[in-house]
Amino acid sequence: MSVMTAPLKLEDLEDRSFDPFMVEKLSHGSTADPYPTIHAAMAKGPVHKGAYRDLFDAVPDVQMAGLNHYVVLGYDLIQQVLLDPQTFTNREAFEHNLGRSFGHTVTVMDGEEHARFRRIFQRAFLPQVVAKWGETVVDPVVDRLMGAFIQRGEADLVADFTHHYPFQVIYRQLELEPEQAPIFHKLAIAQLLSSIGAPQGQEASRKLGDFFAGLLTLRRAQPGSDLVSHLATVEVDGERLPDDVLIAFLRQLMNAGGDTTYRGTSVLLTGLLTHPDQLAAVAADRSLIPQAIDEALRWEGPVASTWRHAARDVTLAGVDIPQGAIVNVVLASANRDPAKFPDPDRFDIFRDRSVRPLPFATGPHVCIGQHLAKVEMTRALNAVLDRLPNLRLDPDKPAPDIVGHILRVPEHIHVRFDPA
Amino acid sequence: MKQWMCLNCGWAYDEAVGDPSAGIAPGTRWEDIPDTWRCPDCGAAKSEFDMVEV
Ligand code: HEM
Ligand SMILES: [Zn+2]
Repeated sequence: MSVMTAPLKLEDLEDRSFDPFMVEKLSHGSTADPYPTIHAAMAKGPVHKGAYRDLFDAVPDVQMAGLNHYVVLGYDLIQQVLLDPQTFTNREAFEHNLGRSFGHTVTVMDGEEHARFRRIFQRAFLPQVVAKWGETVVDPVVDRLMGAFIQRGEADLVADFTHHYPFQVIYRQLELEPEQAPIFHKLAIAQLLSSIGAPQGQEASRKLGDFFAGLLTLRRAQPGSDLVSHLATVEVDGERLPDDVLIAFLRQLMNAGGDTTYRGTSVLLTGLLTHPDQLAAVAADRSLIPQAIDEALRWEGPVASTWRHAARDVTLAGVDIPQGAIVNVVLASANRDPAKFPDPDRFDIFRDRSVRPLPFATGPHVCIGQHLAKVEMTRALNAVLDRLPNLRLDPDKPAPDIVGHILRVPEHIHVRFDPA
Repeated sequence: MKQWMCLNCGWAYDEAVGDPSAGIAPGTRWEDIPDTWRCPDCGAAKSEFDMVEV
């Protein structure tokens, strides 16, 4: 029996007509601009009883319903919560939602266990490692996508570009067969439905898990230089990563790494295109790209909020929070805290940078993929600036509008440029 | 170039920049940072850092 040549099976959902993308849209929140609400709540104080979603028109989150929720707003208090992992833990906050979708991933771990596995994964995503992927993995994807529209002189940079490239980067890292990509993407979104109780969620998680188990067997039999081979064979203190932890991480990638980067890049392009002077400055001086990315993710961080569990009774800003409560940390409020970022709603790549924005959170669970995300966004922006001369918003189409209060994104970025 | 890097999150210490928000002035050598100092990005201890080629 040849393990190497066995085709990897990726099974579609039983119900072929089920559209997870539609359901996904609903769960991202409908409030167009959450910032006036966030500012108003912040002005009343940094801690409120209730969930972040309750500030808007709540979408039912059946696994979370009935839990004791508190919202934490503002930079200082959010930093305090996220840097105190003994008091504010992850497992209880995530095991019933994200943990059901992905399994035993780093997000649902705490303490020593988290630190041990986290270091192994982070090592595969350190800046000096991901820098190499810019050329080998990201550029080919970006070039192919842009090649399809540079002759047109007009494009929707979301539909034609940002909505695809971070996912295709992941497909390349997994060395996924191109014809499997649509089912893979569908399952990756469908698995999230576990958190709203849809049965297709568990079905998708199982099917992705079977697929990844097969992939691990394949890569262990014949390791290459790819990411999965590395993770499947890496040893720390003489031990390999357990399959359940590794498979859960791979399940999480599309969501944690694909969806976020698609949104982040869309926001970056929106910020620059709606501020043509800043776009021109970056086009002329590419050393401004890192600060443009930082500002875009501060201004419209794709992950507006996250959660922790109070492991003990604790008082925050004078509000007593009982043990067992869920603490909803609104990263979007830290990044628009007027005490840290003057005129916080303004997009300004030249603003003072002495306070670090928190779009990737902070503390032990800070984003593992932040260095990769920056490499991807840098490559994407450079390609846009190099290959779409005289780039500007299309005056005949609606301007990009960033919407949603959970994961924010513009639905379209209609542009014109000089065709190649 | 070699740099001290946090292995929990990938944050690199740049002596020229220091870590002013934690009272570490620009130009402070790595050896002179107190052991109580923590990674500004993830809160890991100074002992979590390693010298890496970047
Ligand atoms: C602009 C793009 C991205 C944004 C805004 C973002 C944001 C975040 C945030 C806010 C967290 C922390 C959540 C919490 O502590 O509750 C996080 C964690 C994480 N991110 Fe990202 N992320 C991005 C890209 C990526 C990429 C490209 C990857 C791919 C490797 C990735 C993988 C992860 C993982 C595995 C975690 C969990 C870390 C842990 O719990 O220890 N992210 N991300
Ligand atoms: Zn760190």
